[in-house]
Amino acid sequence: MNHAVADGMRVSTGRNGSPLKKRLRRKSTIAFVMTLPLILIIGSVVVYPAFYAFYLATLNKSMERFVGLANFSFLFTRETFWMVVKQSIIFAVSAVVFKALIGFMIAHFVHNIPARGQRKWRGMLLVPWVMPPAMSVLAWLWLFDPSYSAFNWLLQKVDMDAVPWLGNPYWARFAIILVNVWIGAPFFMIMYLAALKSVPEQLYEAAAIDGANWWQKMWFITLPMMRNIIAITVLFSLIVTFANFDIVRILTSGGPVDQTHVFATWAFRIGIESNDIPLGACVSLFMFPILAFAAIFILRDISRRGVEA
Amino acid sequence: MIVGTAVPAIASGAREPRKASMRRDRRRALVWSYVFLIIFVIFFLTPPLYMLITSLKTSAEISAATNPWWVFNPTLQNYAELLTSSTYLTFFRNSAVVALLGVAITMLVSIPAAFALSRMKFWGSAALATGVFLTYLIPNTLLFIPLFRIFAFLHETTGIEFLNHWWMLIIVHPMLTVPFCTWIMIGYFASIPKELDEAALIDGAGYLQILTNIFIPVALPGIIAAMIFAFTVCWADFLYPLAFTTSTDQLVLPVGIVTTLIKGDVFNWGQIMTGALLGAAPPLIIYAFLMDYYIAGLTAGATKG
Amino acid sequence: MSFDRRRFLSASAAALAVPYVRTSHAAGSLAVGFWDHWVPGANDMLTKLCNEWAAREKVDLKIDYITSQGNKLLLTVTSEAQAKSGHDILSLPIWYGPGQMASLEPVDDVVQPLIAQYGAVPAAVEYLGKQEGHWIAVPATAGSQMKGPCARIDLFKQHVDLDLTRMYPAGGPPDKGLTDKWSWDTFLLAAEKCFKAGFPFGIGMGQTADSVDSAGAIFAAHGAYLVDAKGSITVNSDATRQALEYCKKLVQFLPPDVFAWDDASNNKWLISGKGALIMNPPSAWAVAKRDNPKVADQLWTFPSPKGPKGRFNPGLPFFWGIWKFSKNKAAARSLLAHLSQRAAVEQLVTASGGFDIPSFSRLREMKIWAEVSPPKGTLANYPPRGDQIVNISGAPAPAPIATQMYTQATITKMIAKFTQGGEAMDKVIAWASSELEGFMRA
Repeated sequence: MNHAVADGMRVSTGRNGSPLKKRLRRKSTIAFVMTLPLILIIGSVVVYPAFYAFYLATLNKSMERFVGLANFSFLFTRETFWMVVKQSIIFAVSAVVFKALIGFMIAHFVHNIPARGQRKWRGMLLVPWVMPPAMSVLAWLWLFDPSYSAFNWLLQKVDMDAVPWLGNPYWARFAIILVNVWIGAPFFMIMYLAALKSVPEQLYEAAAIDGANWWQKMWFITLPMMRNIIAITVLFSLIVTFANFDIVRILTSGGPVDQTHVFATWAFRIGIESNDIPLGACVSLFMFPILAFAAIFILRDISRRGVEA
Repeated sequence: MIVGTAVPAIASGAREPRKASMRRDRRRALVWSYVFLIIFVIFFLTPPLYMLITSLKTSAEISAATNPWWVFNPTLQNYAELLTSSTYLTFFRNSAVVALLGVAITMLVSIPAAFALSRMKFWGSAALATGVFLTYLIPNTLLFIPLFRIFAFLHETTGIEFLNHWWMLIIVHPMLTVPFCTWIMIGYFASIPKELDEAALIDGAGYLQILTNIFIPVALPGIIAAMIFAFTVCWADFLYPLAFTTSTDQLVLPVGIVTTLIKGDVFNWGQIMTGALLGAAPPLIIYAFLMDYYIAGLTAGATKG
Repeated sequence: MSFDRRRFLSASAAALAVPYVRTSHAAGSLAVGFWDHWVPGANDMLTKLCNEWAAREKVDLKIDYITSQGNKLLLTVTSEAQAKSGHDILSLPIWYGPGQMASLEPVDDVVQPLIAQYGAVPAAVEYLGKQEGHWIAVPATAGSQMKGPCARIDLFKQHVDLDLTRMYPAGGPPDKGLTDKWSWDTFLLAAEKCFKAGFPFGIGMGQTADSVDSAGAIFAAHGAYLVDAKGSITVNSDATRQALEYCKKLVQFLPPDVFAWDDASNNKWLISGKGALIMNPPSAWAVAKRDNPKVADQLWTFPSPKGPKGRFNPGLPFFWGIWKFSKNKAAARSLLAHLSQRAAVEQLVTASGGFDIPSFSRLREMKIWAEVSPPKGTLANYPPRGDQIVNISGAPAPAPIATQMYTQATITKMIAKFTQGGEAMDKVIAWASSELEGFMRA
């Protein structure tokens, strides 16, 4: 059969090569046409605005004059700016660490229980991630309300002091991280669960026979096998958490006294609410180095994975 | 031979007490697993549950500051008010149209692009695939300011009002969904065996036919997963609508609830929670019915290409 | 034949091609964004008045009520100014109008006749509404408020040993003996007593209007101003230091989370019965009437304490502004004139339960404030009179700087840094100077 097919092919292409050439050329055109909408969208709605942001950041406040890097140097003198930098980094790093840890833990627990029951537990645990953040954060806002907090009601029932969840800077930062972990941990759980399932069971059995305890199994089997997925999820999450807007905006709006502002919310406050678009663009551009840094790591990891695969 | 059979016998004899202890360990691990799972489920499900409880309260009961975790005089008044409020229904309608159109456009762009990138190696395809991935790393929080300015500028020059109209969200949302959906689809398409399309090619099928008759049916789970993802992202988007739309009748649900329901009436929380719950309902319902596709789509990155 | 058809086709193609380009032939339509009133039911009266006008003038009117919570009104104002599209008329509280003066349509032709007809406006209102010689917005009735103390008669009698209804009675002049003693120092003592009794005062120190307004009054009472009328930074002064020291003493008697309070927090504080005093217009009282009548029965609104430099009462005037990009300015002017007529004003003030204070002097001669109850006379001392000075937080700084001071809440941030943040006085003042310099950015 192969011969016949091959003969047939040779017959059709062997005559003068042009049908093949035509097919290849047509293939490129078709392929290009098929990817054209993608290129257009990315070009116009992502790439162009990103470069435009650089241009905007070099204008003066009323966008009439070109002032070069004056906006950047102005920002460096602002105490609030450095606070925002510090807060964004602390927020992103701690939230991602907790999300990964908790997600990893829960994935193990779900993996441990019999397969039949896993589906409904998994279903319940993913709910925070499925709900639109703008809605679920409202629930947290009400739970943390200064006068009517349901948590404070419970605390006071056991004779403890009410906590100023959103009023005290340290509690407010804690609240933001808590809500972010609440929303994001299920995602980590689901990814790690899928990865756990792909670790061959024989490895664990062999280790068990050799007398390995759970910590050794974790360290020598699980973690190495999951290294790629852990790296990918952590890096992705760093980027998404670093650029987060919804949670801070709805929960604290950056307060108290700007101590929970992150780049996105501060850029919004300065750029749109205070009528200073160039400065706002400038602030949001500071996210770029960190994102580029994370992107390089991800790319390196992906290409390594591609080679291994 | 004797050794072979003897060894298992000895080994199984030695394994028996170990098996028993392993069984005990397993049972203990199981109990602890359930304990922790219950704790985490409580942690994860408390806010939505609290939303439900509050949504059944009147503002009088909320201001009376009785037990916030229990409803003493449940009422469906909040639901009735919202579901008959033209403002809220406008929000819902806007969200629905924006999300559905967003899904449609995303699929129209992603599927052909993924097909081209996964199957047809043309000049620049590898670079383009990486580029698609990289754009996912440029967050909307970086782009909303230049986009705002661009739209204002376009309004000045062409007279078309992009800002403050909900339909312009359909232009910007694909940027949030297309990269990831394309990536998912590439993964699914790459796992379709090449023999299928080679056979079809020999039969004289064109690429479009291959796409519609082979790839889409075979990769349907992936397509559904991508559609769910696109819908959820479009529905939940908060930053773009907040920055770009201000008139009440142009708002979508997330922005509408946060900016118009939270107002001067300080005890409106029953209605706010109702609005939030109803707003979270569509993604939750889709999730409840199509949970397996949802999860498969997410984990496509973990296990597939 | 083909010529006509071609013209028809091209015309319809043109009509279909740009559906969202607003042409001036859309005359007869107007989009207005009013501030969402804190008093339940007040919006309905405004809607009614507007619809009456729209029916008479045959204008297709669209009304949005925009809340000031979560900066939504601010966002709408700045966003529409930059996008040059949106509503035709917007409510502009305090500094929002001056901050956008370049984008606002001059309305001298509306305001001057009103002044001629109904009397002059207070200096504070003219200071805000008249920029560079012309009126940039019409002084509005709906929303214009004073944020003096609103306190519990029973708690003050019991714990502070002060009868509010005697100090500022309903029917007659204030009791001079008591009002002379009503200073920020006695305020501090009262705060301490109520704190110890378990009913702290609820003075917000957050970044929203209520907090900035009350802090501004405290500073003004001590003579502390951040920027002077010429635009020079005057924050580094003894008066500022005095004011900050005072705030430090006051803060210890306030609930610990006042630094995160928004405009609704002090309302909730008073209505829930937890607090003895807040600095607020009568919206809290109006909502308490509905949700907690026992508390509402004991509320009394009266002027602020006196400081070394005078009795400064926080005020927040509202304006209605027309955007320069509006396509229907004639209709907008007509609507604003209609809403400023005596008949309309009286209905608005009544519907707001006395919350709204008209700007034009002859329109203020209304009996409503003496009559609303319970308790009778609770708002009798609400409209500013006597030795009160209406304070605009941020004045006398030039508008571009004051707008930023107001929206960025420099004054309350200073207080927060000095008290909750525990920073040294000099560091706080240096920080404020640096911030104010940043506001001079062009």
